[in-house]
Amino acid sequence: MLIEAGHYALVLALAVCIVQTIVPVWGARRDDAALMEMGAACALASFACVAFSFVALSHAYLVSDFSIRNVVENSHSQKPLIYKLTGVWGNHEGSMLLWVLVLTVFAALVALSRRSLPARLRANALGVQGAIAVAFLLFVLVTSNPFSRLSPAPFEGRDLNPILQDPGLAIHPPLLYIGYVGLSIAFAFALAALIEGRIDAVWARAVRPWTLAAWAFLTLGISMGSYWAYYELGWGGFWFWDPVENASLMPWLAATALLHSVVVMERREALKVWTIFLAILAFSLSLVGTFLVRSGVLTSVHAFATDPGRGAFILGILTVFIGGGLALFAWRAPLLRQGGLFAPISREGALVVNNLLFSTACGTVLIGTLYPLALEAAIGAKISVGPPFFNLTVGAIALPLLLLLPFGQQLAWKRGDALGAAQRLMAAFALAIVAVLATFAFARGGPVLAPIGVGIGAFVAIGAVVEISGRAFGRGVPLRVALSRALGLPRSAWGTAAAHFGVGVTVLGLAAAAWGTETLVVMKPGDRASVGPYVATLERVVPRSLANYREDVGVFALTRADGTSAGTLDASKRLYLTRNMPTTEAGIRTVGLSQIYVSLGEAEPGGIGVRLYYKPFVLLIWIGSLFMAAGGFWAMTDRRFRVGAPVRAAVPQREARA
Amino acid sequence: MTIWIVFALMTGAVALAVLWPLARVRAAPGGSAPGDEDLGFYRSQIDDIAREAARGLIGPAEAESARTEAARRLIRARAAAPAGPDGSEPALRRRRAASAFAISMIPLVSLGLYGAFGSPHLPAQPLEARLTVDPTQLSLADAVGRIEAHLARNPDDGRGWELLAPVYLRLGRAQDAASAYGRALSLLGPTPERLVDQAEALVLAGDGVVSAEARKAIDTALAQAPDMAKARYYRALAMEQDGDREGARAAFAALARSAAADAPWLPMVRARLAALDGTATGSTADPAIRAMVESLAARLAAGGGDAESWARLVRSYAVLGEREKAAEALASARRELAADPAALARLGTLATEFALTERR
Amino acid sequence: MSQTIATRRPMTRKSRRLVMIGTALAVLAVALGLVLFALRDSIVFFYGPTAIAEKGIAPGTRLRLGGLVQPGTVVREGDQTVRFSVGDGNRTMTVAYRGLLPDLFREGQGVVAEGVLQPDGSFRADSVLAKHDENYMPREVADELKKQGHWQDGAKPK
Repeated sequence: MLIEAGHYALVLALAVCIVQTIVPVWGARRDDAALMEMGAACALASFACVAFSFVALSHAYLVSDFSIRNVVENSHSQKPLIYKLTGVWGNHEGSMLLWVLVLTVFAALVALSRRSLPARLRANALGVQGAIAVAFLLFVLVTSNPFSRLSPAPFEGRDLNPILQDPGLAIHPPLLYIGYVGLSIAFAFALAALIEGRIDAVWARAVRPWTLAAWAFLTLGISMGSYWAYYELGWGGFWFWDPVENASLMPWLAATALLHSVVVMERREALKVWTIFLAILAFSLSLVGTFLVRSGVLTSVHAFATDPGRGAFILGILTVFIGGGLALFAWRAPLLRQGGLFAPISREGALVVNNLLFSTACGTVLIGTLYPLALEAAIGAKISVGPPFFNLTVGAIALPLLLLLPFGQQLAWKRGDALGAAQRLMAAFALAIVAVLATFAFARGGPVLAPIGVGIGAFVAIGAVVEISGRAFGRGVPLRVALSRALGLPRSAWGTAAAHFGVGVTVLGLAAAAWGTETLVVMKPGDRASVGPYVATLERVVPRSLANYREDVGVFALTRADGTSAGTLDASKRLYLTRNMPTTEAGIRTVGLSQIYVSLGEAEPGGIGVRLYYKPFVLLIWIGSLFMAAGGFWAMTDRRFRVGAPVRAAVPQREARA
Repeated sequence: MTIWIVFALMTGAVALAVLWPLARVRAAPGGSAPGDEDLGFYRSQIDDIAREAARGLIGPAEAESARTEAARRLIRARAAAPAGPDGSEPALRRRRAASAFAISMIPLVSLGLYGAFGSPHLPAQPLEARLTVDPTQLSLADAVGRIEAHLARNPDDGRGWELLAPVYLRLGRAQDAASAYGRALSLLGPTPERLVDQAEALVLAGDGVVSAEARKAIDTALAQAPDMAKARYYRALAMEQDGDREGARAAFAALARSAAADAPWLPMVRARLAALDGTATGSTADPAIRAMVESLAARLAAGGGDAESWARLVRSYAVLGEREKAAEALASARRELAADPAALARLGTLATEFALTERR
Repeated sequence: MSQTIATRRPMTRKSRRLVMIGTALAVLAVALGLVLFALRDSIVFFYGPTAIAEKGIAPGTRLRLGGLVQPGTVVREGDQTVRFSVGDGNRTMTVAYRGLLPDLFREGQGVVAEGVLQPDGSFRADSVLAKHDENYMPREVADELKKQGHWQDGAKPK
């Protein structure tokens, strides 16, 4: 009964979203407050319905109700409780339900921010969000219904793909979805502004926290996904330029550009048309990503269940929303009023360059991802575009971006002083040079470019510190005054600095990868192999049997060059019984910020195949992304965006009673 | 029935929630003028800026510029706000239209779509509840499910696998039976019986072909128990399939000689021998017997045959060497007796006995 | 404010726009050149064994070879070198690979190997990918589910 009620709630949500698409937009045209309010009520009601339906499905997973096909296909009565729960979104149907849930959560939040958003903007945005929800609810119900039933019900499920039985799964997809779907808010606001024909600083201020939130979640989601692939797939790599990864990177690049252009709009009311375009683009790319991942048009190493029927449906949604969005843009954008003027060398100018480079990077990734598809359609040849393409193009675009980043931060609005900016950055530049020289002196091996990478990373990171210190410290300013001045800086300034610092840290981690080593050996117990500055000894191989898998564990002892112990690590080869599927569980030992990474291969004549990696400072890559996300969240809480946000005491009695 | 009441309540609650603002905004004294919200927004923004500036949360310069900007927009919004009372005729008409739209749309769409995709007749079936059902109430398939669930929890229970394997075979799940015997073998150790049973399951799973894996199991069994009739039968069958017709004939003949006169498998061996002699397909059979079998087949085809008669028909065909017909009869018997698990189990045994497989 | 700037600098709206468009075009041109250059060097064609034979691809060409690992052909030669045949139902091709095979690599399953065609007609792979799919399951199990009615026809997404 609960499960059917959940199914019904989903259908009910669709009906409510149809009302939400039409009534508030009509209300906004006619300036009817009651009709606009109905949009908010619809958003809250559809959120309640979808949430209920998600709870019903989760409950079915928890009690192993094998009369639901989705549960049979992705769960197993013996699975640990946490994976029963994460299994809810570890498959196509469930993950699309999660997608819709996140969508309605955001719509409900927009509905609740009555005091921080102008009424018509909010009503139109809710209408656009309603339309997106209608499309995706239909998609879920028609092509990927998680509530379809089986009768008679089997007694055991087929288990979740073992690769997905991992804590990484519990966090990675929800984070990514919050990011993707968060961009739908920027899209909805952009369309709402176009419908209304009004776009100004108030709009930018309203959009910015949502964009920041979506961007920060997307950053976290991508970086968690990359760390998950790193330790779960056992290949030692953290980024493969796989279509699925590109699908998440493209919206991120567009969202990063949007984030920066919204700043220009908010401060100077310039770049209006471009900002609106980016908002449409960012969400369109997350739809394209969903399409690429779900339709299977591109072969990918992580191709999950793909289905041409679903692909066609998503392609339809894609065409309607991207086409509709761009058509509305072409029709209404010329009506938007021109914004403020600025000189080429100014903060605005720097942000324009930032936008240009980010959109170019996004474009090249798009070309690299879609080129195989186009070529196959055109001449029928199947090709793949490999990492060298992406490394070269994105690397070449990232280089000027990174070098200009600290300069841009030092430029004033409207008209900047390039020489002054350079002088303020002297310290950062000098320290970066020292870092390069020190790396040359102390590190052995590795390509020549790597120390330069270290220098760039250091320059960006120190530049971010200068960003804050330059605004607080001055000649002759006492330390206490400077500190209180620094603390008094707006949160968005701190957030920006933290995110830029994170960029530098990530670049350092990427550059350090050049000194990594990879060794392939056949070992038997007692054998030794060197990994970077350490020596790994295979002590023993022990079989182990757990609830739903068996494994052979290789226990390695690590010793430093001087013979002292650096701990042990366990690498294993697992066999999941239900699906008869083997997986490799890499053994990872973290020493400081570096890691030793060991994965086991097949039994060989004379031992077992072992791949050993030394990954110096590899953790910096993800620590940097944590800084970026944290900066985004911190900036989001800035007072200036919350001006006009509800303050409890200020709520009029009339509303409190209602 | 209850489920429809629940659906009706859900629909009602959602429709009420959606219509709530209409009632509330209309009830507000004097209503709110259109455009009021915008004015209110900018006014509260200016108030908030003043409050924040007073608390020193934003700098004076920033506060000033934010205030002028908000004030500018406030003026623009005031100029744009059209006059006109809220309770006007068009406004009321609009609200009536909106509520009619919502009230008709919500139940129509949701019930229509649910009718297309839902399964209101199916109850929830949590595993826990299903596993505690009284065993005598269980169907064979459910019983198997419970044993499987038990084995999933205790994969090292060799006895369980050994018990489950013949049940699988009866249900026609020969591949599962073979792997269950395999588990039993690895957990309990090889005995000639287990080895031969596994081989038999493998042969059935392979549509009657004695695979290399099955052959290995048979040979191992025979090394331990050279006289075992079943193993000898399958080895002879393997020889036949490998093209060694002479060897196979000799082996079958030896098997037939050593058999007791009432051994249930003797007709099978005879049938193989007949086939090898090229005298198969009934030419040696007594015409009287043949006529009897045909009349039995005709009677059963007319319908209403019991398990006993069907089994006899299958057996007769098999003994006569007409394997095609036997398989056909087996298939029709399974269709006829689908509702009777005991009969199905019996047919399964029969199929195993004669190594009959159905084409599906 | 903006007027004072505009009078002080001879930067009209038009010339500002020209600077912006010029920069954008320059960046795009550089990017396009980069893309074309990189594409030329880093695309890899994907073929089955039959296509390689029919098109007469020259040895030394880098490509991706796809097909099914032929049952019974996987030979471990020690030192982590593996040799196996990949077939597409028509022709087969021998692949040599040194390294760890992916978890899902197994006989009879689909595989994609990237590497270089050798003069002797064999293929030296430097990476091997096996497709993984959340619905991966052994055929036997799927068939059994079907027989038992646990699996409705057409339910398995294809």
